Amino acid sequence: MVTDSTADLPKEWGERYDIEVVPLKVLFGTETFRDGVDIDNEEFFRKLSTATKLPTTSAPSPGDFAEVYERLAKDHDGCISIHIGAQLSATAEAARVGAQSVEGFKVSVVDSETVTFPMAFLCRIAAESESLEAATEAVRQRVPNCRVLALLDTLRYLEMGGRMSRAAAVVGTMLNVKPILLVADRDIKPVERVRTRARAIPRMLDYFRTELPVEQVAVVHAQAADEAELIAADLRRELPDHEIPIGQIGSVLGTHTGPKALGLVYIKR
Amino acid sequence: MASNRPVGVDGPVFKQALLGSLSWLAANHEEANRLNVFPVPDGDTGTNMLLTLQSAVEDIKESNAAEVSKIAKLASHGSLMGARGNSGVILSQIFRGFARAVEGKSSLTPRELAAAFEEAANAAYRAVNKPTEGTILTVAREAGRAATAAAASPDATVPSVIAAAASGARDAVLKTPSQLQILREAGVVDAGGFGLQVILEGMLKTVEESAFAATTRTTAKPLPSQVALELPEGGWGYCTEFLIEGSGLDLEVIRNQIEALGNSVLVVGEPELVKVHVHTDDPTRVITLAGGHGKLLKLNVGDMSTQHKRILEGDGLASKPPRPNGAGLVAVVAGKGLVEIFRGLGVDAIVEGGQSMNPSTQDMLIAIESLPYDEVILLPNNRNVVLAAKQATGLTKKKLHIVETHSVPEGVAAVVAFRPDRTGSVNVAAMKAEAERVQTIEVTHAVRDTRSNGLRVKKGDVIGLINDKLEFAGGDYADVVKRALGKLGPDSYELVTVYRGEGASEDELASLQSSIQSSFPGLEVEVQQGGQQHYPFILSVE
Repeated sequence: MVTDSTADLPKEWGERYDIEVVPLKVLFGTETFRDGVDIDNEEFFRKLSTATKLPTTSAPSPGDFAEVYERLAKDHDGCISIHIGAQLSATAEAARVGAQSVEGFKVSVVDSETVTFPMAFLCRIAAESESLEAATEAVRQRVPNCRVLALLDTLRYLEMGGRMSRAAAVVGTMLNVKPILLVADRDIKPVERVRTRARAIPRMLDYFRTELPVEQVAVVHAQAADEAELIAADLRRELPDHEIPIGQIGSVLGTHTGPKALGLVYIKR
Repeated sequence: MASNRPVGVDGPVFKQALLGSLSWLAANHEEANRLNVFPVPDGDTGTNMLLTLQSAVEDIKESNAAEVSKIAKLASHGSLMGARGNSGVILSQIFRGFARAVEGKSSLTPRELAAAFEEAANAAYRAVNKPTEGTILTVAREAGRAATAAAASPDATVPSVIAAAASGARDAVLKTPSQLQILREAGVVDAGGFGLQVILEGMLKTVEESAFAATTRTTAKPLPSQVALELPEGGWGYCTEFLIEGSGLDLEVIRNQIEALGNSVLVVGEPELVKVHVHTDDPTRVITLAGGHGKLLKLNVGDMSTQHKRILEGDGLASKPPRPNGAGLVAVVAGKGLVEIFRGLGVDAIVEGGQSMNPSTQDMLIAIESLPYDEVILLPNNRNVVLAAKQATGLTKKKLHIVETHSVPEGVAAVVAFRPDRTGSVNVAAMKAEAERVQTIEVTHAVRDTRSNGLRVKKGDVIGLINDKLEFAGGDYADVVKRALGKLGPDSYELVTVYRGEGASEDELASLQSSIQSSFPGLEVEVQQGGQQHYPFILSVE
């Protein structure tokens, strides 16, 4: 099992299911950090708040993937490699190219079309499957149902990162509005715009309720742990059959969301 | 000379009477402007009524109709299109009622004239949702009653009936402070009522003075303010306007032909005189086509690319993604920064206006027609613009929703709630709900001494209004804002957006900001350059 650092995979899941995490990179000027390896989340957001120039991000190289696959090839016949949506990053493509250089090892690369915790859910679903084929089938089936509903504190980071011209055009950037965005169907769509955070959170929950039933749901955040806890607690009361884990947005995704981002992520049934 | 006085009111007499009203109102409208209840620099009732009346007589000037009914109909149409501000809208309803009352008549006896005055007042009452006594409505009714009483006399004449109407109006105007507490407190009479009195006086002067056989033309001075009110918009090449004079003109046929050649099409009028407005790439074809229907008058072709260059800069409609719900947004806004904010939030067309420049129904209509959407949501963003906006509803084939925003903050809140993927009516409900949640604080200077809402205000004092109501006077901007926020109860709110107007300096802004932050540390403060006139600061509290 291989994924990348934008899955925001909890450490214990990685250990329990034996999942390899290939880091993307974040660059402050000429300084390169491997996401979650050379820089942890706390440190990243501290650095972000004092940076005079916003950082940039880059995908792992095909070589990075080849290295991981070669290592796995020693005692496995193949692997499933689940990655950030190709509309957002070149990571899945790098994985595909990297896999070609490792002979005799079958890599099933999956473009998840999504980002952050739905990828972690997909990894767990794959881990609980009986074979590589079954895992690939189970994951591919769910890809179209993955959703990330995100509340950003500002559009500034997403705009600078060049990831959403269309949504930005619709949301408007003159006035400071809090956009609620939906990552779905290989696109980032503006769902709603609200002027204050206190009103935006219930709006996000309202939208989520229209998406029920869901198979999996999690709350993710960038330096907004208290609010994430409150949202998760509310949802656990409402949906007692779901565990509702809380994930932390890592440095690569955090470069584009900025601090104080909150997300409700889920796989629709 | 008594023999030259009109015995009945026919087309030419009514035409001259209205022209007389116009010049008399032009001479006196400043007086009406000074009668604003609140000492705020807005709601120029006199100007609004003058522009409405000017629009009412515009087409009449070209008409030689012999029948009073035709002149009255033109006045009704013209005032409907040109209606600005609440009093202007009511004035247009008065003309409408008058036109209905004289339908089919070529000339009016004194008695019929009085009956038409009364019916005009009744029509205006019916048109208003909640009629308030002590306003132009009361004045219109009293004028009608006085006219009817005078007409009952056996030697009643047209001048005696109009004289009675004018004096009835004058008496009613003087009584308005006893009917409305806000007028009493402010020590003024009702401005709209006064405007109507002036209009009737202007008619009287004309019928008394002029010998109609040798007409002395009264012409109104052109108003500079009309030039400033020109509508900004994106779109087609040439703004083409003219009148077609003929007989049996079919409005529907002409409209269909013109619509094929451009957009922002307006075709209104009578079978004898039709007014056409269109934005087209090919004015020559429009003119040739229209020339086939009759004689063209007052032809005016303007190159909009130079006219509206300022507005066309920036994001035009073409660069925007198509809107899935097929609904367009029009907002009435003034001030460079505010215009940019509304555009940035997705508003398709801006009608320039607001505080002291109330746009006409026609201005808004042209903006509505210019959009490539069949459904349009219109935000008036000012209490004095709402009625004129509502009049547009009956004049467009498009599905028009009006979200009755009374201030810039309400307008911004409404636009923020607009979602391009949601149907028009769902959006309208959400936009209304958001607009109602926002509190508006406006800071300006009193334009004269007054008493209002228990406050004694001196000319030049800083005054603060919460949701259009005068609440505070005296001190500096920061003081007034602090008191206003204190009154609203800052614990219930999260965000204050400060729209800085033209009249506020950097220092004043800085001291306002630090005063809010130190007095109410729990509030987030965002500053935007609004660039609005008259109001150094407008604050949105939500």
